Amino acid sequence: MKELEQQLLEEKRELMAREKKNNPSFLKVVWREIKSDKVAFISFILLIIILMTAYISPLFIDEASVKRVDPFNIYNSPSADNWLGTDDGGRDVFGQLMLGARNSFTIGIAVTLLAAIYGLTVGLIAGYYGGIVDNIIMRIIDFLMVLPSLMFIIVFVVIVPNYSVASFIFIMSLFSWFGKARLIRSKGLAERELDYINASKTLGTPDWKIMLFEMFPNLSSLVIVNMTLTLAGNIGLETGLTFLGFGLPTGTPSLGTLIALAKNPDVISTKWWVWLPAALLILVMMLSINYVGQAVKRASDARQRLA
Amino acid sequence: MSLLKVNNLKVHYPIRGGFFRTVKDHVRAVDGVSFELDKGETYGLVGESGCGKTTTGRAIIGLNSVTEGEIIFEGEDLVSLKHRDRRKYIQDIQMVFQDPYSSLNSRKNVLNIIAEPLRNFERLSPTEELLRVQELVERVGLTPESIYKYPHQFSGGQRQRIGIARALTLNPKLIIADEPVSALDVSVQAQVLNFMQDIQEEFDLTYLFISHDLGIVRHMSDRLGIMHNGRLVEEGTRDDIFENAQHPYTKRLLAAIPEMEPEKRIDKKVLREEVNRLYREQHDAYYSEDGRVYDLQSLTETHSVALQGGAKQ
Amino acid sequence: MIQFILRRSLVMIPQLILLSIIVFFLASAMPGDAVTGAFQNNPNVSPEQEEKIREKFGLNDPWYQQYGRWVSKALQGDLGMSYTHKQPVTVLLKDRLSNTLLLAGVTLLVTYLIAIPLGIIAGRWQDSWADKLIVTYNYVSFATPMFVFALLMLFVFSFQLGWFPIGGSVDIRAEGGTFDYYISKVKHLVLPVLSGALLMTYSTIQYLRNDIIDTKFKDFVKTARAKGVPENHVYTRHILRNSLLPIASFLGYEITGLIGGSIFIETIFSYPGLGQLFLNSIMLRDFQVVTALVMISGAAVIVGTMLSDIILSIVDPRIRID
Repeated sequence: MKELEQQLLEEKRELMAREKKNNPSFLKVVWREIKSDKVAFISFILLIIILMTAYISPLFIDEASVKRVDPFNIYNSPSADNWLGTDDGGRDVFGQLMLGARNSFTIGIAVTLLAAIYGLTVGLIAGYYGGIVDNIIMRIIDFLMVLPSLMFIIVFVVIVPNYSVASFIFIMSLFSWFGKARLIRSKGLAERELDYINASKTLGTPDWKIMLFEMFPNLSSLVIVNMTLTLAGNIGLETGLTFLGFGLPTGTPSLGTLIALAKNPDVISTKWWVWLPAALLILVMMLSINYVGQAVKRASDARQRLA
Repeated sequence: MSLLKVNNLKVHYPIRGGFFRTVKDHVRAVDGVSFELDKGETYGLVGESGCGKTTTGRAIIGLNSVTEGEIIFEGEDLVSLKHRDRRKYIQDIQMVFQDPYSSLNSRKNVLNIIAEPLRNFERLSPTEELLRVQELVERVGLTPESIYKYPHQFSGGQRQRIGIARALTLNPKLIIADEPVSALDVSVQAQVLNFMQDIQEEFDLTYLFISHDLGIVRHMSDRLGIMHNGRLVEEGTRDDIFENAQHPYTKRLLAAIPEMEPEKRIDKKVLREEVNRLYREQHDAYYSEDGRVYDLQSLTETHSVALQGGAKQ
Repeated sequence: MIQFILRRSLVMIPQLILLSIIVFFLASAMPGDAVTGAFQNNPNVSPEQEEKIREKFGLNDPWYQQYGRWVSKALQGDLGMSYTHKQPVTVLLKDRLSNTLLLAGVTLLVTYLIAIPLGIIAGRWQDSWADKLIVTYNYVSFATPMFVFALLMLFVFSFQLGWFPIGGSVDIRAEGGTFDYYISKVKHLVLPVLSGALLMTYSTIQYLRNDIIDTKFKDFVKTARAKGVPENHVYTRHILRNSLLPIASFLGYEITGLIGGSIFIETIFSYPGLGQLFLNSIMLRDFQVVTALVMISGAAVIVGTMLSDIILSIVDPRIRID
């Protein structure tokens, strides 16, 4: 018996290895797609460099000293000490830029993931059950989609007690899942007509398992594409809200914090080093994420692939 | 006692209309169908597309909700059972689907597809599971390494075998086969059909065989029922139907079977025209004013036909 | 047809009611009420007196009574008092509303003026250099956050080049009604409008390009070509007729974008409109104004979405089968 098991196991490994090669995973296809598109490839490399710098450099930056106000060195222009000069509090702009990029990206990811979880749950339920359940959920989503969400986020940010980074992430994600739910639902409605879903029902698989392990894998590439594209949007929204003064709480630097200083006419016209690098960094990050996102999108649809 | 007894089964869908989307009428997809299946037999359910045969099959297994009627399986009425209690009959009734492409989840390999019901009902170790699946895969005539392949790597006939293997996993008593070969090439159809007959004895199966193809049904079934507009028009043994059809609709269906021998084709055409004429002339005796099929009336012990007031011809 | 319009309009009513309830509860969740706002920093009014006034105005009643009063007042055009400006909210909104409507209207117009020709060019000459350029522009405009773009515009064209004023809606020295006054108004509009419009073209261009490419190979177009209809006619008579109308159905979606955008644009260009008023009011905790603005914006989007659905139903009969 032992021998047989051993033999079976070996066989299994060998065959799995061979089958894996025949069936490249979605990530492999994405990578192939990125490599074959020059702009996407450059974007990808650029994004990696920016993120590595943003996540690694804070390890060497003394956060306390970056945040410390130094009244004698306000608005210094770039120098060897302060590569990108100092801001209105005499703080090092480069250090803040790195911390800000890290924070903005992390929050963007967190919001995207949370929104994906809400969107998936609601979308899968509406798409899987269809009928009256779908009808009610869609009426609610139709309503939520017409709310002026930016205004609502700002109002929530103001009235939430004990406002923190966590509550900000929660508020933002609360208003960014409607579109995703709708997308997943419409694809889910198409999937549920297919017999593999019916087969699972007749095999006694519980509904939640069918949704999660049968239907979801067939929608996963759609979700990944949507997530990469909304990631950029969420970073833009976070920095924008921080720019307006309704984003990250003071003390947590974001790219928007630096740009917000440009609301001062003197800063925008003469102290470019304070806000321009952050503005350009956002632009580059958003463009890169979008170009990579477009490559992911093509990879998910065999007809659009370049590779 | 029969294995399955379907009693006056109705599946209606509402038609909504008007300003407030109120229910205006119903589509009577299945409208009062009754039949019985004995253990070990194959019952063919035949009719043109849209006649309600698939809906009947899906209602029996619980994919469509039943508007009215009983589905008695081993003495227990499935319709009146709660969702949870019905679960224990899932193991006994299984289905083979029409489309071998959409009925297998393309994201799962064969092992995971066939093991799905095992994981729902039995707690097996991975090795036990593997052995069970391997046994089934080999029984349906696929090579052992297929279990790590994905559905798109198989032909239609092979996929349908995977679907059959999956249905067999729980050792069911009744298999509802919904047009199991109509999506396959004619050359493969016979293979799959013969295979289904082979396993019928081996696994002690009862088939409800749903098809639009009378030739195939003749090959497979012991008894059959002809459906039209959601109701049975005629029921009987294979010989009753193929040798002694009574209902004009059945006759029409039989006349529509293509003739293989060229020299007989002219005869067939004449026959077809004759049957068509009969169908038009006798229409009123077999259909009520609003086009509804009458209730079945017994002609012999095995043979019954739907006609007005049970009047013999 | 009429049935669809009626039914679609009926859907709007529960939406408006739901919106008003949500806004009402948000308003009650905001710290302070009309009384604390009105007598803030007034040492002559004791907390007991405040309480009395509260009782008198019914601020201690159950929520549904307060809600009912609030709605009926709002329907009569009474949106409460702004305590920072010491004047009725409706009066406060009036001037700003016309500014914002002007900005939004012109932005929408310019968006279409840019997007429609570009969409048509990209679709008609698919894969040409012009198409590639337009597609690139579309990628970039989709990815660019509006506030970053507006700041860069302001920095380059107002501060560096000095072509346009740095803020406001009109030169304060210009006299109302004169030619200079209108010129000044236009000059003040250029940057805010372009900052919004250049980024809002995305969905229209994307839609038009895809739709034209789709339609180009449809049978009825092939038939027209085969009959010898000149290529230009094929586009004006057959393709564009089908592709252009549905653009109107994005209206609701565009209005949402305009409302969000106006908050950024008006802040950056110090343009005295509703978006700026919203931000200022919320910073000053002037919640009567905030509530009114959220309600109005929500209602605008609800009505806009309804209009676009109706337009779409006229253009495309298929969606009427609900």
